[in-house]
Amino acid sequence: MSRPNGPGTGEGGNLGSTVRIGLLKAMMLSRTLERACCELNPRWFPAEGEEGVIAGTFFGLRSDDTMAPHYRGPFLAYALRGADLSRLVGQALGKANGYARGRALGFTGPAAMGIVPWVAGDLGTTIGVATGCALGFSYEGSDRVTVCSFGDGTTNRGDFHEALNLASVWKLPIVYVCQHNQYSISLHASEVLPIEHLSIRAGSYGMPGLTVDGNDVFAVHTAVRDAVARARNGDGPTLIEARSYRLGGHWASDPGGYRLPEVQAAWRDKDPIPRAISEMVDAGELTQHEIDAMWGEVRHAVDEAIVIAKACPDARIEDIGSDEVFAEVPDGTSAPLGARSGSWRA
Amino acid sequence: MARLSFAEALVEGMRHELRTDERVFLMGQDIGKMGGVMGGSRGLIEEFGPRRIRETPISESAMVGAAIGSAMVGKRPIVEISFGEFLPTCMSQIVLQAANLHYMTAGAVDVSMVLRTRIGDGPYRGHPQCYESWFAHVPGLKVLMPSTPTDARNLMIAAIRDPNPVIFFEHMWLYHGVREEVDDFPVAATIGKAAIRRVGRDVTVVATGWMVHKALEAAETLALEGIEVEVVDLVSLAPLDIDTVASSVRRTSRIVVAHEAWKIGGIGAEVTAAITEACFFDLEAPPVRVGAPHHPLPMAKPLRDAFLPDVDDLLRAIRQAMAS
Repeated sequence: MSRPNGPGTGEGGNLGSTVRIGLLKAMMLSRTLERACCELNPRWFPAEGEEGVIAGTFFGLRSDDTMAPHYRGPFLAYALRGADLSRLVGQALGKANGYARGRALGFTGPAAMGIVPWVAGDLGTTIGVATGCALGFSYEGSDRVTVCSFGDGTTNRGDFHEALNLASVWKLPIVYVCQHNQYSISLHASEVLPIEHLSIRAGSYGMPGLTVDGNDVFAVHTAVRDAVARARNGDGPTLIEARSYRLGGHWASDPGGYRLPEVQAAWRDKDPIPRAISEMVDAGELTQHEIDAMWGEVRHAVDEAIVIAKACPDARIEDIGSDEVFAEVPDGTSAPLGARSGSWRA
Repeated sequence: MARLSFAEALVEGMRHELRTDERVFLMGQDIGKMGGVMGGSRGLIEEFGPRRIRETPISESAMVGAAIGSAMVGKRPIVEISFGEFLPTCMSQIVLQAANLHYMTAGAVDVSMVLRTRIGDGPYRGHPQCYESWFAHVPGLKVLMPSTPTDARNLMIAAIRDPNPVIFFEHMWLYHGVREEVDDFPVAATIGKAAIRRVGRDVTVVATGWMVHKALEAAETLALEGIEVEVVDLVSLAPLDIDTVASSVRRTSRIVVAHEAWKIGGIGAEVTAAITEACFFDLEAPPVRVGAPHHPLPMAKPLRDAFLPDVDDLLRAIRQAMAS
């Protein structure tokens, strides 16, 4: 069982079958969709191996909650909010049909989806923005929550510390999930983190921190679900460290060379998807036939999206939107500047 | 009608919006019981309480991030960064998030927030650096620098209502050093317009913030010599109202641009370049720029006085523009 302010393992035994099937399907979709983007765009960021964290974190939120997904594997959050998969793929390829119309690398969607877009090239500021969404919810006195994920490398940014401190001081309804894949591009966590479990950092902000096995989607989801309930109840933020491993490169065509092949192979054996499948098949929750059907359904949806996206033209020059840098100011709100009225001296 | 200082007028602008729009709140350091740095939020905590007048930890990046995020979910935050010198600590939030979000999401997201901060020399000679031109360089930000109490109030109202991120620079000498009769009709002034503060036919002086008042002083002196100076207060650095400056220069044929920030790379360089492009054949003399020398602002008074552009520098610059 997870325990505050230290390592532990989440326990997924109390999740209903519908939720467990939903989580498995979410992992399958994330795997298939992100892999397709990697095949089509060599600069896309492979999320393979981290689907347990991704699905466990964002599955099952209320439609009026806000999600702030990490840049590695962002599309599941959008898909869970009903995004058109062909527009997501198109976005990753800079096509005209992308939600960002070719203006951002990929992580954006309609405002109504309630997802914090990824428009900045840095790491960490998105945590501050997500915290601001939680501030908005707290300010309006609603029980909406924000769930925000980021990498282990990002926890060394000052923005991480500032945001967690602020969220705790104001008891904001937010859950911070570290999608710990052990790598900041080529640097292993052990080279840049002086502690084994960064969940202990939560203690210095006076919030609960726990470590879960990120390759156990049920454990991740249980931990996040409980933290969401806590936030919704007005009890403030939680930090969850979900430990996994980046099976692919930093970007799809990353030649790598900075990792030991045997370590990579060992983590391949811990792949969260086969793990969940064998657990569910062993428990009699799903048959192999049903599993195959689920894969088939997901692959069909993604294949269809790829066909549509590839057929779309690249973003057109009229999408550049030089006159769309600012939101339009509503009419009737403006008056001239003050006229000169004698001396201004005090 | 009341005679208000610049600082009082700023507070009036915020108070008006806090009263009329529940989505509006202010966050920053020392804005509550202390009444704000230099009285910049005096009286607000008493009227609106700690939920809407929110004291923050010293975490500028998180504060601006919190403003952006709460704006994204429909609030109208005002975030106060006590001094412009602290802006580098939240630069990523301003230029990567606030400035980009609307464009990069193809209009899905609006960031209706105001970031207010204090710059320039002032009575306490603390935290004086002027960094406003950095923000005018970045697309997606509106950058305001009012010089009068009426504009301070009405532009603050406009900034709060604007659906875009607005960076609001408050020059510290203006705070208690400038007063005027301010009418009882708080309205949103138009953002993006310059104002002609004094009409004159001989030379156009474009200035910002406190320098506007120095330019008016110089104009009084030169009027005695028969030189009629037109003083244009830039007011908005982004959008930049080059049309108003250009139409003035077409009448006077001469231009001096003055600000307290460093001359190199300052907003005056942009104004000068834009006017040279637009009015090259209208000019009777090369443009003249007034700005601080290219070294950090020193602390001791004699050094600071030597560093800061003053009325004498303006007089020299205007005479130079008139000489050729």
